[in-house]
Amino acid sequence: MNSMELPLVIFTVLSQGAVGLVALTAARQWASDGGSGMAQAPRTAWLTAVALLALGAFAAMFHLGHMGGAVRTLANLESAWLSREGLALGATGALLLAGYLSPGLRARGATTVAAVLGVTAVLVTSMTYAPAGFPALNNALPGVFFLLTAAVLGPALAAPFLPDAHQPAAMRALRAALLVSLVINLVVPCVWLSGGTVMRLTGEAFLTAPLYWLRLALLGASYALARGGRMPAWMLPLLAAQELLGRALFFMLPVHASVNIGNPF
Amino acid sequence: MKKQLGFLVDTEKCIGCFTCAMACKNVYHQQKGIVWRQVHPMGESIYPHRERAWLSLACNHCENPVCLEQCPVKAYTKREDGIVVHDQDACIGCGNCVRSCPYGAPRMNPVEKRAEKCSMCWQRIDAGLDPACVHSCPVGALSIADISTARLDGWVQYPAGYPESRRLNPSTRFKAPRQPREVRRNDA
Repeated sequence: MNSMELPLVIFTVLSQGAVGLVALTAARQWASDGGSGMAQAPRTAWLTAVALLALGAFAAMFHLGHMGGAVRTLANLESAWLSREGLALGATGALLLAGYLSPGLRARGATTVAAVLGVTAVLVTSMTYAPAGFPALNNALPGVFFLLTAAVLGPALAAPFLPDAHQPAAMRALRAALLVSLVINLVVPCVWLSGGTVMRLTGEAFLTAPLYWLRLALLGASYALARGGRMPAWMLPLLAAQELLGRALFFMLPVHASVNIGNPF
Repeated sequence: MKKQLGFLVDTEKCIGCFTCAMACKNVYHQQKGIVWRQVHPMGESIYPHRERAWLSLACNHCENPVCLEQCPVKAYTKREDGIVVHDQDACIGCGNCVRSCPYGAPRMNPVEKRAEKCSMCWQRIDAGLDPACVHSCPVGALSIADISTARLDGWVQYPAGYPESRRLNPSTRFKAPRQPREVRRNDA
C-alpha cells in the first residue's frame, strides 16, 4: 500500500471542484434565456473558485520535500506533465481572478473560455497522475476519475450562486454525475482484474479494501438522497467526503510495477 | 544508437549473495530502507526449481528515461555515455520520478526529502574503474558494456519477471538462468 498523499488528495479534489463550479456556471449561462440573472457569472462564484484553487495549490506545497523549489516546477514544460499542470492551473486561476475583478470577463463567452481552460487543466493534471510505474493508472482512467470529481462537486459548489430557476438543472446534473461515477468506480476494479498481473493486484487491492466499499456506499447514498429541485445544505459535505476518500484510495491502493519484479507480469 | 553503457546481469552465474547490493551500500551509505541495487528472487512460477535464480537490478539507465522526462525541475541529465545522473541539489522532492519509473530505481530519501538513485558510479567509471557492484561480484555475474556496440548474442532485454517498457528502452541486458539438468534412473 502506498502513502495516502494527503496534500495531493486535497489539491486535486479542490482544484477539480473549482473547475466543476466554473464549468457548471458556464453551462447554465448558455442555457439561460437572458431573464434569469445569468448574463454575468456571479462574482462570489468566481471568488470561491479562485479560493479553492489557491487553497489546493497551498496544500500541494506540503507534498514537496522542499517547498522553496516550488516555483522551479515550471522549468520542464517541454516534457514534464507536472510542469504543464502548474502552468495550466496557474493560467486558469489567473483568468478567474481577472473575472472576479472585471465584470466583462464573467460574461458567457469569457466564462466558457475559463471553463474550457479549467477542463484542460484537469486533463493535464490527470497526465501527471498516470505514471508509467502504475500500469493500472498509466492510461486515460485518471482523466476520467478527475473529470468525474469536477462533475460531482461542480453542481454542489455552484448551486448557492445559481438563481432559483436553475436549481433543478443543477440537481439533474448532480444526479447524472453521481450515477456515472458510481458505475465507473464499480466497473473499473473489475476490469483491472482482467489485465496483467500488476493490474490484477490493483483490482484485488480495491475490491478487498473496506474503504473502497465505504466510498461506494457514500456515493450510492449521495445518489439516493439527491432528490428534489434544490440542493440541500448537507449535500456538499457528503459529496466532498466521498470524493476525498475516493482520491485517497486512488493514491493508496494502486500497485507499483516494481513490487512484482521477479514474478510474471 | 549513441554510446549507451548498460549493466549486464548473468543470472546463470548469480548466486543471490547480495554482495553487489552491500557494495553499493558501503560506498554510498544510503538511509535505512533505501537501496539503489536490489537482488530480486525469481518466483516459483518463473523458475520452479529447487535451485534459486535471481535478478540483480539497479537503475537501467534507459535510452529514454522517464525520470528525466517527468522531472519538473530538470534534476536528471543523461551523459554522453548514456548514464542517467540525478542532481540531488536540484531535486525538490516531488516524487514524480519515483512514481514514474516502472523499475522502482529512484527512491525517496526520507531524511533529505529528495529522490536518489544508482549513478552507475560514474566517478569510478571516469577514473577507469568498474562500478562498486560490478567490482564486488564474487562470481562475475555483473559487468557493464556499451550496448550500442557490444556483441550481445544470447543476452535478452526482457527476461521473465522484469517489466517490459519499449518506450523507455532500458539498457540492462540479461542472460537467462540455466535450467537444471534432470537426472532420471534408467528403468531399463
